[in-house]
Amino acid sequence: MEIPYTTEVRPDTGLTNPKLGIWLFLASEVMLFGSLFSSYVLLRSGAPTWPVQHEVLSVPLAALNTVVLIASSVTMVMAWASLAPHAAAVRDRLRSPNARAMASPAEASAEADSLKRYRLFMGLTLLGGAIFLVVKAIEYGDKFSHHLYPATNNFLGLYFTLTGLHALHVIVGMIVNAYLWGPGTRMWRSEPERFANRIEVAGIYWHFVDVVWIFLFPVLYLL
Amino acid sequence: MAHDVAAQVRGYMVVFGALLVLTLATVGVSYLRLPETPAVLIGISIALTKAALVAMYFMHLKGEKPMVYWPLGLTAFLFVGLIAGLLLSEGDHLFGTQFGDAFTTD
Repeated sequence: MEIPYTTEVRPDTGLTNPKLGIWLFLASEVMLFGSLFSSYVLLRSGAPTWPVQHEVLSVPLAALNTVVLIASSVTMVMAWASLAPHAAAVRDRLRSPNARAMASPAEASAEADSLKRYRLFMGLTLLGGAIFLVVKAIEYGDKFSHHLYPATNNFLGLYFTLTGLHALHVIVGMIVNAYLWGPGTRMWRSEPERFANRIEVAGIYWHFVDVVWIFLFPVLYLL
Repeated sequence: MAHDVAAQVRGYMVVFGALLVLTLATVGVSYLRLPETPAVLIGISIALTKAALVAMYFMHLKGEKPMVYWPLGLTAFLFVGLIAGLLLSEGDHLFGTQFGDAFTTD
């Protein structure tokens, strides 16, 4: 069964279905993280004492992770920008009866370069996600080595819950991005516009993960 | 087309630079050890600015169709309602009565 409106815009919404779908999904994610942030505000404001967060956690490691995640957002959007402008041209050529003859050497070279650039930027995005998780694992390991666990106090309970849920989102994003970097790239040669849209939708999710961290960093480490 | 892409990439780099500067500012302000209220206001304001930059430029929210803005507006309303509702119903310690031993200390 063909999924409708994957590339053409739906007249009533003015959007493709995947784009509307990802935004509605992210709306639910805002409420998920919102409930945890609310818990944080309630528990912290009600606690007679609260740990000095920057003394318990490592601000330099978290700052490094912030830069890494922001950089991975940039490489993600660059991956999309590498492909999207060429998608319509590749589609037109594929639809033409003599597809191979239509592409001039310059066009074919530009299309090949765009795919190479896409792979490079998507690879860098994956690398950014992996570095983020390694740094997070180092942080967790350090806490555990000092016998600091989620059950130790309310702050650490919230810290591990919020950052653990966020790390889970990073892992899910990396799985999707790894598919789009590897086997998923096949779609570029059959449905280029749909593939470019997939990159954009995966990117919107990845940037959301970045946005969540942008709030977690000051709330858990600095304030 | 090539010119548009180049301009778009330049725009992404400018946003990247702004995000790095704002991250540096967040960390820098935290070392000033300000009282809690101004520290929270400044920290959250910088985070909101960074989030807005990512949403507007990387997530392409700038110039997006109204069908995206409506659900997001509703989400923002519900998000504020969730926090306000929770604090107003459960956070009586903020408005007078202190919870007794409901919260453990370290």
